Amino acid sequence: MQKRQQRAVPERFVVRRATLYFDRFMNQFIKVGGLSVIVAVSLIFVFILLQVFPLFRGATVEWRKDMPVPPGQYVVMGTDEWSELPFFVNAGGEVLFVDTVDPGGPHNRGHFTRTPGLADEATVSAVAFNEMQTQLLYGTVDGRFAIVDVQYKATFPERGGREVAVELDETPLLRIGREGVPVRKLAYGGSGVQKLVAATQEVEGEFELHAVSLAQQRTLLGAGELSVERSYDLTEFLTGEPEQLAIPRDADAVLIGNTDGSVVYLHFDGQEFTRRQVFVPFEDREDRRIATMDFLLGDVSLVLTAHCGANRVYSIYRDPEADMRIWGHTKTFPDLDRGAVFYSASMRNKAFLIGDGRVASLRYGTTETIRWQEDLPVQATLAALGPRYNRLLFLDDQYSLHFYDLHDPHPQAGWRTFFGKIQYEGQATAEYSWQSTGGRDDFERKLSLVPLIIGTLKGTLYAMIFALPIALLAAIYTSQFLDPAVKRYVKPTMEIMASLPSVVLGFLAALWLAPIISNAVPSVLSAMLGVIVGAFGIGYLWGQLPQRIRMLLKPGYEFIAFVPFMVLIAYAGWHLGALAEQFLFVVEDPDTGLVIADFRLWFPRATGLGFEQRNAFVVGFVMGFAVIPIIFTITEDALSNVPEAFRSGSLALGASRWQTAVRVVVPTASAGTFSAVMIGLGRAVGETMIVVMATGNTPVTEFNPFTGMRTLSANIAVELPEAPYLGTLYRTLFLGAMVLFLMTFAVNTVAEVMRQRLREKYRAVE
Amino acid sequence: MKQVDDHAAQSTPRPSAPASGSGRPAGETYVWVTGMGLTVGLTMIVLLLALVVYNGVSVFWPRHVALVEFQDDGATRFRDGTRALGVILIEQDRDMRDLTPEQRDSPNPADRREKQLFLGNRDAFGQSFAYFSAGDIERVSYPEEVIRAERMEWGDAIFFPIRLELQDADPIEADDPAFDSTLHKLVDEVNARRAAITRIERHAIGQINLQMRDLELEERFYSRQDALTPEQQAARDSVRDRMEQLRAKYEPLAAEAAALRAKQEENRLVYRLVTGDERSMPLGQVVHYYYPNRLTLAGRARLFAGHIWGFLSGYPREANTEGGIFPAIFGTFVMTLLMSVAVMPFGIMAAIYLREYAKQGPLVRAVRIAINNLAGVPSIVFGIFGLGFFVYFVGGNIDRVFYDRALPTPTFGTPGILWAALTLALMTVPVVIVATEEALAAVPRGVREGSLACGASKWQTIRYLVLPASAPGILTGLVLAMARGAGEVAPLMLVGVVALAPNLPVDAIFPFIHLERKFMHLGFHIYDLGFQSPDSEAAKPMVFATTLVLILLVVVLNLLAILVRNHLRKKYATDKF
Repeated sequence: MQKRQQRAVPERFVVRRATLYFDRFMNQFIKVGGLSVIVAVSLIFVFILLQVFPLFRGATVEWRKDMPVPPGQYVVMGTDEWSELPFFVNAGGEVLFVDTVDPGGPHNRGHFTRTPGLADEATVSAVAFNEMQTQLLYGTVDGRFAIVDVQYKATFPERGGREVAVELDETPLLRIGREGVPVRKLAYGGSGVQKLVAATQEVEGEFELHAVSLAQQRTLLGAGELSVERSYDLTEFLTGEPEQLAIPRDADAVLIGNTDGSVVYLHFDGQEFTRRQVFVPFEDREDRRIATMDFLLGDVSLVLTAHCGANRVYSIYRDPEADMRIWGHTKTFPDLDRGAVFYSASMRNKAFLIGDGRVASLRYGTTETIRWQEDLPVQATLAALGPRYNRLLFLDDQYSLHFYDLHDPHPQAGWRTFFGKIQYEGQATAEYSWQSTGGRDDFERKLSLVPLIIGTLKGTLYAMIFALPIALLAAIYTSQFLDPAVKRYVKPTMEIMASLPSVVLGFLAALWLAPIISNAVPSVLSAMLGVIVGAFGIGYLWGQLPQRIRMLLKPGYEFIAFVPFMVLIAYAGWHLGALAEQFLFVVEDPDTGLVIADFRLWFPRATGLGFEQRNAFVVGFVMGFAVIPIIFTITEDALSNVPEAFRSGSLALGASRWQTAVRVVVPTASAGTFSAVMIGLGRAVGETMIVVMATGNTPVTEFNPFTGMRTLSANIAVELPEAPYLGTLYRTLFLGAMVLFLMTFAVNTVAEVMRQRLREKYRAVE
Repeated sequence: MKQVDDHAAQSTPRPSAPASGSGRPAGETYVWVTGMGLTVGLTMIVLLLALVVYNGVSVFWPRHVALVEFQDDGATRFRDGTRALGVILIEQDRDMRDLTPEQRDSPNPADRREKQLFLGNRDAFGQSFAYFSAGDIERVSYPEEVIRAERMEWGDAIFFPIRLELQDADPIEADDPAFDSTLHKLVDEVNARRAAITRIERHAIGQINLQMRDLELEERFYSRQDALTPEQQAARDSVRDRMEQLRAKYEPLAAEAAALRAKQEENRLVYRLVTGDERSMPLGQVVHYYYPNRLTLAGRARLFAGHIWGFLSGYPREANTEGGIFPAIFGTFVMTLLMSVAVMPFGIMAAIYLREYAKQGPLVRAVRIAINNLAGVPSIVFGIFGLGFFVYFVGGNIDRVFYDRALPTPTFGTPGILWAALTLALMTVPVVIVATEEALAAVPRGVREGSLACGASKWQTIRYLVLPASAPGILTGLVLAMARGAGEVAPLMLVGVVALAPNLPVDAIFPFIHLERKFMHLGFHIYDLGFQSPDSEAAKPMVFATTLVLILLVVVLNLLAILVRNHLRKKYATDKF
């Protein structure tokens, strides 16, 4: 092959082999390199998608192991943080611990029993479990109670690894209610100063409800002994036979579930009890009887199940009609087959594990979603959700303990959270809201992107209202009427404006412009309006002048001639606005009785909307600086590129320069203009620094020009540095970035396609 | 094209051309309205630039210091006295709500106005600025003996000098003719000593600290091991030896610095405030001083230039509100350079592929649209991508593989200048691709065909003909990308910029370029000063000055690009086949 080639080609045409190889190499190199750059760039979207994807996955639960547990009449089950040493409490108050690490191994402690050293061997008549604080409550047959803290601690023995140790720390037995009468049900709530215990007793067939508030002495060594501060007889508040009792962590209420299906809400203000509310959670169901009533994390939501299997959440919020905090129905979950047998709330989030024996269901309170639900192969009697939200433990009726691994990193995520209305805890209505951090650990995150999208649209809207007319008018003037000699300088000047860093614009907007504008809103508005009206007026008057005078101004220089008028009009408009403020925007200060003419005070009072110094109006104005040059340049290009034949033809037929511009040039270039507007829109949507600096960054869902907003882009800049890697917030911010990406990408694609089509059109006529 | 434009202008009819029944051209009114659009747009940009230039420049101009005396019976007092000393900044209307009824109805409009003074002496007054009712001011004078001194801490001081207390000589009174020259000499000495201290602490001790940190990491690695092999033990001992040596080197350096520091405190300047309080400060505090009311115009101009130089070349002090912005300028420069190095080969390669190699068809058109679009994707999206991909994913893995001894302290798994440069490179790559493609497309087909016909290979054609011809266009794209990169802040906030970086990303310590370091940036400096500093009023002059520097940088880059582009257009206008 090579030999033949050598013979056929004369010596002087033979190319050095190195050149050929190098050429071939470069060809391949460029192809591979170029393609991989393009692929890499498009991977941005793939990467963002990959970050977002896990948000929309449900929980996965996997069986890990089974373990036998000594038989007993267990009523409570709990577990430690690592789910290594769960405990079971029987009706007699004995606590059984089961070591589940490495069963049969050398260091396995098997199972062992601890009995709380209740002072005088009192007989236990009731056991309750406060899951959030891992506290057990014992009521005795003689009308006393004790609180037992199950204190887990990780120890690190010599042989390495970790071993969970446990200690029981109990209070002495304290009196509650009638002496000598067994306690039937009891509940405890307390954190910080206020602590409250309530118990029911049955005296000669009649039910009684008693409560005590507890006081804790503070000693130098820390918390001291608990003692009863005050006793209350709450029997008068009972409306039926009490079956369930619950006291929230703040110890400001007692909730009583009656056998007839009603719930009584007693409010405790630290001194006295009042009956605030009686409600029937399952009023619309045939069988209203309540099976279980338990708190979600934070103790402001109650998860209730009915004997018929219905499952609802009631939350406490300030009712605008009643003007006080009462309980209301907020969430409804799909029915179970019957009333819940077991319940366990997460200590990390608003999830809870519930089930009726066969069916176990992991549900999320905030979003009303079922994270996971399955028919168990056994009949479960007790269940616990690992405090780290990573284990499910079930005890079945054959005394076998079943371990499941739970993997659900983003339980709150879902379409509803991001794009739907949700009635969050403490809110009277369902809302779109964004609030990613709160003061307390049990804070319910609000992650709706809707206020951010609305904020983005709001900023864009005001930017476009301001930028669009100026940019389009300037582009028409520059391309159609302006003297080409001047145009050579005008265009680069406007392009320089496009290159102004947005951090500079943001800084000027926030620290320089915002105070000026907010001090003189009427002046600014009237000056703006004045300039617009003035342009019409002067244009009209100019047209009326005799030709002799009009000849003095060379066409294409009107924009310079307008400068002195503009200065005058703006000056006059500014003062006229201030004058108008004196008469129109007058309010009386309620404190001093002083009559003040100030738009800043008048606007909120007249419209009921807010007024902030850093607002959408300022942002719109300054974002104009960023958007105007983009729209201007592209529109001007499109208009200038309209084939000259169109213009000449129109002018030759006797049309004026305005008629030519508006009826011939502008319609021809409409696609280009449209694409310019789209690209400007894309820039406004994604603008970050101006919005971060010139607004208060408060998420809003209204379009009031005198309040700020929070946009998707600003939200990322503000929140991402604080978001834990791969956490729900981190991924949600990526979702926000994806929405932003898609918004701008869609807008830009439309623009680009339009522009290409326009180019083809011109090619056709040329 | 240009010729055609001129022709069009000539054919534009004079307004006299009859068009409608009235004998006047229709729509002249609206021409004015469109003209208004251009006027407003141009006014906006001109005003904005003027504002920044005026405010940015006036920061450095040494202004007169006024002694303001209030009426004895007026309500205005400054710290229970009737005098205030400072630079008069602005005069403005007072807020109606703050006025008393008498003032509101007063015939004298000055009663409703107020003057803002820059007082300095934040250590004594607790505030740097104050407003005084203009109506209460009786007299304003400009005493010659006033000194304004820039200090290391507490901002500027404005005072009447009393005397210099010297360690090894008699005190010199302020009216002594030798006072000024002595003070001048001593301040120069103090500054030289301060530079020496910085040299020792930043460079010599800084280097020791860095080496120490590496050794400590190694030591920690060994001490975490359960059992050490003999070699490992030997290595550990050598590490400990080296640590000892470093400590030995450190001691004399620290002692030297301490001695210099002590010397800074030796001489003191005693001065009197406008309130009459006598205070004194060690000369080590003074950075520089001048008599603002004694200066001639030439002296003022010289000081002005000096201030500007100090600002551009100095390091920031006092939470960035004082001193210079050199690290920010340097950081911006290094980052932009790194970005250009990253973006240029890839952008150009992709463009050459698209224009010269790829088969033109719907697919390439779609790719082109997508790339055009990427230029319009918000910068913050690139920022979040940079953080997630470069910092956490790539950086985290680099740490796990190469820097596992330092973990859990991240080396590359944290924002830094390399990741910032790469993120911005990704952001600007579409700009470069689009510009390069345009430049390549502008090279006439004939050039390529001629070259190929002469027997040149495809690569030779590109390398020796197409690329040189399109070089200016490619350069334009690169300069535009640099301008965009230099002015961008939002993504940088996520991937490596900090308000105050202890070290420059490039220095004299091996390996000289520290890609993992965080850096300062002009744009972020503006954001941080204007919005994160505790006293934003005091920081405002600095922000304006920084803004001016940034705008100049970006505008110059853009003008450069525009010039190159115009030059290019002319060239191709004559080069057409």
